[in-house]
Amino acid sequence: MSNSILSVKSLKKRFGGLEAVNVDSFELYEGEITSLIGPNGAGKTTFFDLITRFQSADSGSIFLNEKNVTKLNSYKLARLGMVRTFQLTRVFDRMSVYENMKFAGSSIKNEGFLKSLIQTKTLKQQEDHLNVKIDETLKLLNLIEMKDSYARELSGGQKKLLELGRSLMKNPKILLLDEPLAGVNPKLSEELLEIILNLNSQGINILMVEHNIDAVMKISKRVVVMAEGKIISDGKPDFVRSDQKVIEAYLGSSDD
Amino acid sequence: MIEQLGNGLLLGVIIALGSVALSLLYGVTRIVNFAHGEIIAFGAIMTLFFSSSPDSSLLYLDRFSPLGINFIASVLLSTVLCGVFGGLLELLLFRPLRKNNFGNIAVLVVTIGLSIFLRHIYLLFASAKPTSYILELQRRQDYFGIQLTPRNVQVLIVGFIVMVLVGIFLTFTKTGKAMRAVRDSSELANVSGINSDYIILVTWVFSSMLAGFTGIIQGVINNVRWNMGFLILLLIFAGTVLGGIGTSFGAMFGGFIIGILVQLSVGLQFMDGHTEAKNAIALALMIVILLVRPQGIFGSKDRIS
Amino acid sequence: MNKYFTAFIILVLSFFYIFFSNDSGGGRVFVNLLTFAGIYGLAAIGINVHFGWTGLLNFGHAAFMGIGAYTTVLLIPHSLGREGVVISTGLPLPLAIILGLIASALLGLLLGLPTLRLRGDYLAIVTIAAAEIFRLLVRDFEDLTGGVYGIIQFSDSLQNSRPDFITQFSENYNISSAQLWVGLLTWFSIVFVLIILARLKKSPWGRALRAVREDEDAVRALGKNAVLLKLQSFMLGAAIGGLSGIFLVFNYGTVQASTFVPVLTFYVWAALILGGVGSLGGPALGAVIFWVIIAGTDTISRFLFESPDGQQLAGVRFVIVGLLIMFCMIFKPSGILGDKEELLLDVK
Repeated sequence: MSNSILSVKSLKKRFGGLEAVNVDSFELYEGEITSLIGPNGAGKTTFFDLITRFQSADSGSIFLNEKNVTKLNSYKLARLGMVRTFQLTRVFDRMSVYENMKFAGSSIKNEGFLKSLIQTKTLKQQEDHLNVKIDETLKLLNLIEMKDSYARELSGGQKKLLELGRSLMKNPKILLLDEPLAGVNPKLSEELLEIILNLNSQGINILMVEHNIDAVMKISKRVVVMAEGKIISDGKPDFVRSDQKVIEAYLGSSDD
Repeated sequence: MIEQLGNGLLLGVIIALGSVALSLLYGVTRIVNFAHGEIIAFGAIMTLFFSSSPDSSLLYLDRFSPLGINFIASVLLSTVLCGVFGGLLELLLFRPLRKNNFGNIAVLVVTIGLSIFLRHIYLLFASAKPTSYILELQRRQDYFGIQLTPRNVQVLIVGFIVMVLVGIFLTFTKTGKAMRAVRDSSELANVSGINSDYIILVTWVFSSMLAGFTGIIQGVINNVRWNMGFLILLLIFAGTVLGGIGTSFGAMFGGFIIGILVQLSVGLQFMDGHTEAKNAIALALMIVILLVRPQGIFGSKDRIS
Repeated sequence: MNKYFTAFIILVLSFFYIFFSNDSGGGRVFVNLLTFAGIYGLAAIGINVHFGWTGLLNFGHAAFMGIGAYTTVLLIPHSLGREGVVISTGLPLPLAIILGLIASALLGLLLGLPTLRLRGDYLAIVTIAAAEIFRLLVRDFEDLTGGVYGIIQFSDSLQNSRPDFITQFSENYNISSAQLWVGLLTWFSIVFVLIILARLKKSPWGRALRAVREDEDAVRALGKNAVLLKLQSFMLGAAIGGLSGIFLVFNYGTVQASTFVPVLTFYVWAALILGGVGSLGGPALGAVIFWVIIAGTDTISRFLFESPDGQQLAGVRFVIVGLLIMFCMIFKPSGILGDKEELLLDVK
């Protein structure tokens, strides 16, 4: 088995009386596409929020490449190469697709107040240099035609693509996708899956939450199943598919 | 310091009632209503209009002379009118805004405009001078070491009763339960078949009646002014934030704390000669609370981010 | 270009109105109006950085304006309080102004630190409370601020720098030379500030602010520190507010506790919304139109009341300000110069 790049130990989160997440141990291994599935309310998105530090866990610890990041700010964690998307897409509505991408790719240094005020030649060069990568990424995502449109004019599926594209501008090591296929039409879904596979083959590790079981089984190397905040099954797609506990969890939940 | 406790209780009951009304409206509609103070003033001014003797020249335009009816009847009538006023605001202004997907911030700015508009309508129609209701003057007496007039004691008791009634209404009646359901999660409430438009309307009416009643009490304790609502609004915000935005019990508690704190601070050593700054202390406390415990004393954390 | 044409027409009509509604002293009224408009415009530009660029609800601008003004005035020669204690030494004016701006920015930092982590509407409540605290403290700490008696005789520091030709010009046209000088400096400052802001707006920093306005969580997910960006925006807008406050007190020639009341903030907001939230020049244009409207309200008062007193004049004036804020926000939230695509309707 390959190296673990993300490691989670006894992570817990409660909301009032509800135990939203209670994960003893979770590892993400180098080079894999891992999917997180489970019935509604299983705590998948909360788990995502916890490992990306968008919410604070009550207890437990998170290691990224053996560095303890349990107390790190979410934006600092993203700088370390772990970039997420959101279940409900969060594009910058009143900025163009191009600006969305450029903001994502622009370096933090150049966004400094003084640097932006002085606007040295290097800053301009670096900013212009981003355009190459933006065009490349937008072409990959079939969004190049929409480059100058406001992000809010995009369809639901295109917004998902833009969010993915924005994340790619960060050159992520780990990409966490929260329901990348939700609300996306079947044709676009196929394309998205291709893109995800393609990204993985370029060395980006992918962890995704997804409800489309067929898609999950098709592209994942490993599937992790959550129910009621706990991981109940973990393994190759075929193993998980036949796991009795998984079947029970899905049948037992009334809302799925 | 203890001699200020009576004043503290009186200010506390005003702020507590006002905070409950504000917090309820915020909880159900998510509107931070800067015009809340003007509904408070509306109740007080209407009562003044109904109860003052017809020959008193308290209103600015001479074609409106006061009606001179019984005080208690005036109070009831004004409270009902405030409810109607709040209901109309919802039907004519806030519901259309909601249906047109106005965001919370746009609505907040609208309430600021509304507040400025209403307040100066009052200025044009009612005297700028502080005016009192026609109630006989009373001396302060000693109640368990606290100095209050008999009427102050009545007001405190009535205020408490109203708060208890609000609590009972929210906890036990069908409408009250529905209001709390919408407050806690409008999606959930929709699923369970609660008509949220109706509930929001009821909330506006209810909250405005409560606000108007707050104004009347403020008028009885102090006096009636065109800008009385604006002056008390910030303290009401402070009370609401202290108790925890969106919790009725918290708002009551927070309101009392703020009222008592403001008045007691007058007796503090370093406040000597700085009486104006007493409100500053309450507002500073609000900011500190936001710093250390933004959800307030009784609020839950998920309301704040 | 259509909206700029509209703006132009409105301006021309406004100026005609000013000159023809004042039989005598049109020039004086004109300078008075433009000076106030410039000061409010500058203040509105500050709020625009907060709200239009970053989505921050600042309703305590009066405090930022006030702390800048008080800091500057107290650092230059002045006369203080009820006894008029004369303090004849002080810093050179430019240095005092810079320190005033820093004071405003620091107040922005102080208020921003606890609140910028919270949801937007908390900031509205906290800033309005902070402005009230500021006013109460200014009022109460008379030893330092002169309280309600205020500070006087500080204008010389500025007026000494007035060129002779402006004095000459003013005498020829029967205008207040002191006010003309303040007005000119204010509008120069507006141009200067707008040049800087135009540069910042299209810089990576400006883009980052807009991203924060749109969606903070997404900003964080992309590895950017949203709180830091908001703090910087808050401090910059506060400093611009401070500058406008400094001009305001030099325009009055005095400053007292009642100079920086909460309604000042609402005036400035009205100007901003009228001109167009988010646009560069909108706030200044909005302020001009706002002041023309204010001047027009007195005509309305005379129409409604036979001989309006101060209470009626103020009443009518603010009734119209209130209506203006409501109607603009509801029916034309992009104002005159705002970008339709940048409507702020659905901001949460």
